[in-house]
Amino acid sequence: MDQQKAMLFGAAAAVRLLLFTAFPSLPQLLAGRVEVSTPVTSFKRLQEGVFLYTHNVSPYDGGVYHQAPLLLPLFSLLPNPASSPFATNLLFTAVDLLGASALMQIADSGQSVVTRLFKSSRKDLRWSSAAIAATFLFSPFTITTCIARSTSALTNLFILTAMAKASQGASFTFIFAMAMASYLAMHPILLFPPLVLLCYDARTIKSKTAPNPLAFTATHVLGFAAACGGLLGLSALLTGSWEFLAATYGVRLLLPDLTPNVGLWWYFFTEMFDSFREFFLGVFWLHVASYMPGLTIRLRTQPLFVATTLTGIFAVFTPYPSAADASLYLSLVPLFRHLFPLMRYTFLASATILYASFLGPAFYYLWIYAGSGNANFFYAITLVWSLGLSIVVGDSLYAALRDELDVERPELRGKEVKRI
Amino acid sequence: MALISTLLALRKDPRILKLPPYLSALCILVGVAWLLVLPLNEYSRNTYVSENALLPGQVHTYFTGSEHNVFRAYRHEVASLVDMPLEERNQKLVHILRSNKLKAATQSYSYAASGRNISNQNVYAVLQGPRADATEAIVLVASWLTIDGEVNHSGVALLLTLSRYFKRWSLWSKDIIFLISGDSTSGPQAWVDAYHDSHSPDTIESLSIKSGALQGAVAIEYPAGPWGHRFEKLHIIYDGINGQLPNLDLFNTAVSIASGQMGAGCTLQRMWKHDDNYKERLQTMLRGMISQGLGHATGPHSAFIPYHVDAITLQTVGDGWHDEMTLGRTVESLFRSLNNLLEHLHQSFFFYLLLQANRFVSIGTYLPSAMLIAVSFSITSIALWVLSGRPTSIPSPATTAPLKDSKGPTEKETNKTAVTVVEKDKDKSLLPLAALEVTERSLFLPVAFITLSHFLGLFPLYIFNNTTEAFLAPAFYSTAILTATLPFAAAFTLRRFARPTPQESTLIQCFSLLFLGMFLSALATVNFSLSFLVGIFASPLTFVRGLHAASSPSTPVPFTTKNRLALSAVMSVVLAALNPVVVIRAATLYWGRDIVQVLVQAAEGWHVWGLWTQVVVWLVWWPAWFAGSVVVAGGLFS
Repeated sequence: MDQQKAMLFGAAAAVRLLLFTAFPSLPQLLAGRVEVSTPVTSFKRLQEGVFLYTHNVSPYDGGVYHQAPLLLPLFSLLPNPASSPFATNLLFTAVDLLGASALMQIADSGQSVVTRLFKSSRKDLRWSSAAIAATFLFSPFTITTCIARSTSALTNLFILTAMAKASQGASFTFIFAMAMASYLAMHPILLFPPLVLLCYDARTIKSKTAPNPLAFTATHVLGFAAACGGLLGLSALLTGSWEFLAATYGVRLLLPDLTPNVGLWWYFFTEMFDSFREFFLGVFWLHVASYMPGLTIRLRTQPLFVATTLTGIFAVFTPYPSAADASLYLSLVPLFRHLFPLMRYTFLASATILYASFLGPAFYYLWIYAGSGNANFFYAITLVWSLGLSIVVGDSLYAALRDELDVERPELRGKEVKRI
Repeated sequence: MALISTLLALRKDPRILKLPPYLSALCILVGVAWLLVLPLNEYSRNTYVSENALLPGQVHTYFTGSEHNVFRAYRHEVASLVDMPLEERNQKLVHILRSNKLKAATQSYSYAASGRNISNQNVYAVLQGPRADATEAIVLVASWLTIDGEVNHSGVALLLTLSRYFKRWSLWSKDIIFLISGDSTSGPQAWVDAYHDSHSPDTIESLSIKSGALQGAVAIEYPAGPWGHRFEKLHIIYDGINGQLPNLDLFNTAVSIASGQMGAGCTLQRMWKHDDNYKERLQTMLRGMISQGLGHATGPHSAFIPYHVDAITLQTVGDGWHDEMTLGRTVESLFRSLNNLLEHLHQSFFFYLLLQANRFVSIGTYLPSAMLIAVSFSITSIALWVLSGRPTSIPSPATTAPLKDSKGPTEKETNKTAVTVVEKDKDKSLLPLAALEVTERSLFLPVAFITLSHFLGLFPLYIFNNTTEAFLAPAFYSTAILTATLPFAAAFTLRRFARPTPQESTLIQCFSLLFLGMFLSALATVNFSLSFLVGIFASPLTFVRGLHAASSPSTPVPFTTKNRLALSAVMSVVLAALNPVVVIRAATLYWGRDIVQVLVQAAEGWHVWGLWTQVVVWLVWWPAWFAGSVVVAGGLFS
C-alpha cells in the first residue's frame, strides 16, 4: 500500500516537474489563460503584489492584487520565480501532493458510504483511496492549475484538508484548515456547517458517545470565528491597515473586475445597467448561498456528500470560478463510486465537459486573437461548461436521494421512480 | 417526462448497439453530400457589402493621364534596379520614396529554416494622412519578387507612382504605408511582426518608422517587364495563414470596384476560366478548401491576417486590354473606400467559402458538414464505450433455444442463460441478464496507449521542422516505412503479453475516436477545411474493428470471427493506404509537387509564419490513425 502510494505520488510529482522544466514558457502561458487564472487567483497578480510588498508599498495600491495578504510573506521568502522558478514549482507540486494525501484520508475514513446515520446499500462498491488520489493527481485540470501556479491550488488543499480532518473528527486541524480556506477564498465558509456535522458524526463514531450537540456547535463556531479573526488580525498587522478587506473580499463580493472567466457572472454584469447592479449582486450571492442550508438539512445523514456537492455549486455559481474549482469537485466525485450505477447522464456530462474544455480555448482564440468571433462565442461555451458541471451535480444528487430511498424502502429497489 | 423515461428505457435495448455504425456512415454521407450541394443557387448567396462606410466605386478616380507617363518612367527605373546588389537597390528605392516627400526606411531580416537562410530586406515608407492623427493606417504592398518568383516590375513601379500620386491628395484620413517587401511571404511576415513588436530583434530589424493600427492591406502583383503587358482579369488571393480569412467586405469591395467600376473581371483560386456552372463553382470551392486546409501563406497579404489586419492580393492574369492604369485606379478606389472606414472591418463574414467572385456560402450553412463528420467519430466512440462495458459474449436467445431442444441436458445446459423480465408499457419481454450488466472497464492500458501514441507524434513533428533540406527526403521515406510497420510491431509486441484484451482494444479505439471527434469539432470552428479534410481521411477509422478469436467456443461462429484474418488483413491494407504519410505523398504526386519542396515550405511555415497544420497532422491525425491501425493489426496476431 505504502509503496503504491509512494509510486503514485512520485509519478505525479515527476509529471509536474517534468512539465515545469521541459516547457519553461508553459507556466507563463497558462497563467495568462482566463480558464485557469482569475483576477483573484492569478499568479501574475500575486507576483505584482509580492513586488509591491517587498518594496514597502501597500500591495493593494495598484488595484491589481486581490489575494490574501498572508500569501505575500510566504512568496516573498521564495526566490524570484522569474529567475529561479524551481522553489515555487516545488511548492505548488507539494501542495498538490498534500491535497491528494488529504483526499486519501477522506477516502480511507469511509464517510462517503457509511456515516453515523446512514449506511448505503451499495457500500461495497468503492474505489481504493489510491485510485481516487490518482484521479485527482492526474486530472488535466489539476495539472493545469498546478502548472499555472494559480493560488486556488492552495484553497483546494485547505478545503480537502478540512474535509479530511472533519471526517476523522479532528476538531483543531479541521477548524484551522477551514479557517485558512475561508480566509483565502471566502466562499468556502459555506462548507463550514456541513463539515461541522461531519466532524460531529465522526467524533461520535470515534468516542462511541455523542457529545452535546449544542456545546459542540458552540465551541466549533467560536473556534472558527477565533481562527478567522486571528488570520484577519495577522493580515492587518502585516499590511498595516484594514484596506485589504475591501481589496480581497470586497472584490470577491462586488465583482468590480469583469475579466472573462469560465463562470456565469462576468457576462451578465458587463451587460447590466448600473442601477440594477446591487440588486443582482444580492440575488446572485443569495442563489449561491441558498444551496447550503437546503442541502445540509435535506441530506443531514450524508454531510460529506453535501460538502462535495457544494464544491460543485461553487465551481459553477461563484463570481470567479476557474478550472481549479472544477478539478476539486470532479476529484471528490469518485468518492461516491457507489452512486455511479444510479447516475443517468454520466456520459453526457463527461462528454459535455470534455467538449467544452476543447472548444473553450478555441472560441477564446477566435474572440481575442483572430477577431473573427466575439464575446458571445466564449460565453456560450462557458454556459456549456457550467451545464456539464450542473448535470454532474444534479445527477449525483438524484443518485444520492435514490440511494437513500433504496435503504428506506427496499421494496422499491430497481424500480423506476415517478414523481407523485 | 414520459419522453425521457422512454429514452432511458431505450438505452437498455441491445438493438441500439447495432445502430451506431450506420448512424456514423449516415453522418459522413450527409456531411459530404452537404458540401456537394453548397454550390447550388439554393444554398449559396450573392455577395454584398455590409459595411455602409465603404461605398465601393462611389468616387471618381483621377489616376489617369500624366500619371501614366510617371508610371512608365518608374517602370524603367525599376527595370534598371534588377541587376543591382540588394543594398544598393533598396537605397535607390528609398531615395525615390524620399523624393516623393515620404518618410522611408529599410528593414533587414533573416530567418533560418531547414538549414536554409532566408535573408532579405524590406523597403517601406509612411505617408502621413493630412487629416489623420497617426492612429490608423492602411498598407499598400508590392513584393519585389512575386509568388511565382518573377520580378514584380510593374507592381513596384505602380506602388512608386501611387506613392507620388497619393501624396498630392488632402483627403486621407488614415496614414498610408507603402511596403516593398524583399520576397512575397517572409518579407511581409518580418515587417508585420516588427510592426507589432513581436519579432526577435536578433535576426529581424526593428522598424524605425511606424504609424497607427493597421486597418487593411492590399498587395499588388504585376510582373510585366519594362515594356508592359496588358492583362485580362484580376486574380484575388485571400487565404491567410492557418486558414484565417480576411473580412468578406474587403474582398467584395475589391470585386465590386474592379468589375463594376473598371470593367475588369475578377477570378479566384486560379480558376482562369469560370463559366459559373455547378462544376466550376464546386471546383473553386474545393480549391479554396484545400488552400485553407493547408494553411500556408498564399501571398504577401497572408502575413497580415493573423494580426487581424484584413488583407488581399491583387494579381494580374491573362492577355486582355486592361493596362496598369486599370490596376492603379482600382487600388486608388479601394484605398478611398478603406479611407472612409470609421471602425475596423467587422460587419461582414470572417468565415466563408467563395464559389465565384460574387457568390459565397456563409459559416452557418457549411459548418454542419464538418461537424457531422466530427460527430460521426463521437457516435462510434459512445457506442464503443457502451460495448466495452458489456460482457464479451451475450448468448443469443435465438440460437440457444434449439440447442437445448436438440441435445437435451448437455454441458451447455449448466451455464443456462439467466434471464430477466423487462416490462415496458404493459409489454413484457425476456432479456438475458448479461445484456444488462456492466462489467468493470480496465482503463489503464488504453489511457496509457493513447497518451503514448500522441507523445510519439512529437518525434516526426520535431524531425521535419528541424532537419536540413538535404536530409528531408531520407527522413520522409524512413518515417513512411517506420509508420507503416509500427502498428504491426506494436500489435505483435502487445500480443506477446496477451494484451490488449478485446475490451481494452475496444477502449483504445473508443478513446482515440473520442479525442479525434473532439479535436476536429474544435478545429472546425477555427479552420473548417482542415477539419473537414482530416475528418474525411480519418473516416474509415470509425468502421474498422479489432477482431479477436472467440473467447468461448459457441457453435454458430459469427462471420467476422470466422474470416478474422482475411478481414483484418483487408482493413490493415485500407488503413495502410490512409496513413497520413502515404496520403501526403499521394497528394504531392497528384499535384506534381516535389515532396522535399513541400516539406521545406512546411518547415518555413513553422519557423516563419507560425503555421500549425503540422501539429494537427502529427498530434491529432497520426495518433488516431496509429491507434486504429494497432487495434486492427491486433486481429492478425490474436
